[in-house]
Amino acid sequence: MPNIREIRERIASIQQILKITNAMYLISSSKLKKARTALDSTEPYFYKLQETIENVLEHTPHTRQLFFDRRSDIPDEKRKKGYIVITADKGLCGSYNHNILKYTEQTLAEAPDIDNCYLFVIGQVGRMYFQRRMNSGGNAAVDGEFLYTTQNPTLYRAKEIAERVIAKFEQHELDEVYVLYTDMINSNLQETRTVRLLPFERRHFGKAPDGTMKKLPKAAFLPSPEKVMEYLIPNYAKGIIYGAMVEAFCCEQQSRMTAMDAATNSAKEMIHDLSLMYNRARQAAITQEITEVCGGAASLNK
Amino acid sequence: MAKTFYLEIIATDRVFFKGDVEHLVITAIDGLLGILPGHEPLVTSLPTGELKYMIDGEWHYAAISEGFIQIMPDRAVILADSCELPEEIDIKRAEEARERAEEQMRQKQSIREYYETQAALNRAMNRLKISQKHFK
Repeated sequence: MPNIREIRERIASIQQILKITNAMYLISSSKLKKARTALDSTEPYFYKLQETIENVLEHTPHTRQLFFDRRSDIPDEKRKKGYIVITADKGLCGSYNHNILKYTEQTLAEAPDIDNCYLFVIGQVGRMYFQRRMNSGGNAAVDGEFLYTTQNPTLYRAKEIAERVIAKFEQHELDEVYVLYTDMINSNLQETRTVRLLPFERRHFGKAPDGTMKKLPKAAFLPSPEKVMEYLIPNYAKGIIYGAMVEAFCCEQQSRMTAMDAATNSAKEMIHDLSLMYNRARQAAITQEITEVCGGAASLNK
Repeated sequence: MAKTFYLEIIATDRVFFKGDVEHLVITAIDGLLGILPGHEPLVTSLPTGELKYMIDGEWHYAAISEGFIQIMPDRAVILADSCELPEEIDIKRAEEARERAEEQMRQKQSIREYYETQAALNRAMNRLKISQKHFK
């Protein structure tokens, strides 16, 4: 028979946690609403940007532009790869962080040489995770000065990040740059995804409507392809990073809301079960006391 | 009915405009650029500046900050950081931004900071100019 006091204490502690999870649920649902509107207004830009750039690259004439330099003289295992990973600032959001971290680990494992992988982590949880990993002998280096939050993404922050990464690319500290983030497909479905940021690849051939490959016509660039690209690519990088941040932030709030809702529900269930148990124990104790009193009285009457 | 082409103006925070226009004038890096239907394929970047497009013989104006345009004979796409109608511009905010930027310009800054402030000042001046010009 469980102790009555023990049960009462457990119920009290679950109630405390219930209050917290419920509050977090409310907070994340209101944040989600905001993040959702931001996502809805940014998504057209984000997708159109990728589509247009793809289209522009099909029509780009040969340039000596730095951002198109694939540096093919560097062998595969010597290439320095940079990964911008977007995680959450705190936990308690279900499998959101776990998924993106696992995905990053996978990507790193697939890289030809893990020693040449550099991580730029946005968000506390991911930074802590990879820094701990690095300190305990893991080999992907984390940029310790890369400190950005995932809360309320702004264009300004995205611009700073883009500038930093592009500067590193220009100084040959990085040869390839990718963005790893969580994409919101719909409110129940999220997917971890990689987008390549640099270098750019020019395509010479495209698929014609009839399915054959044909040489693409070249578009004019004003004043010159180099000048336009010099301007366009930082802009593109900024747009992509901003879009990815908005997507990821929305996913985070969504997962947190779902996780906290589930936690609140299971806390309620536990309280229900425990109070049943508590009442039973209480009844048993009373019954026992009555039997004891009756027994005592009966033995006196003898 | 005049010949038209399909124009899309998409800013980071919203879809600003989608529809058929007869004539588009943008500020490119080295000056104004007019685009009519049937323009040759062209890609160029847009600094902070003014933009106008004609629908049914009537000009519409907008303030645009940093982006690029892709032109095809029958359509054009503008992707920009922000795009506003003259009447949407918050003059007070732009005024404050200008003062802040001017104040920062007087301080000693690194080259990067200097460029950033310069860009901010540019945006503020552009907003003020366009709102004064077209919205009284």
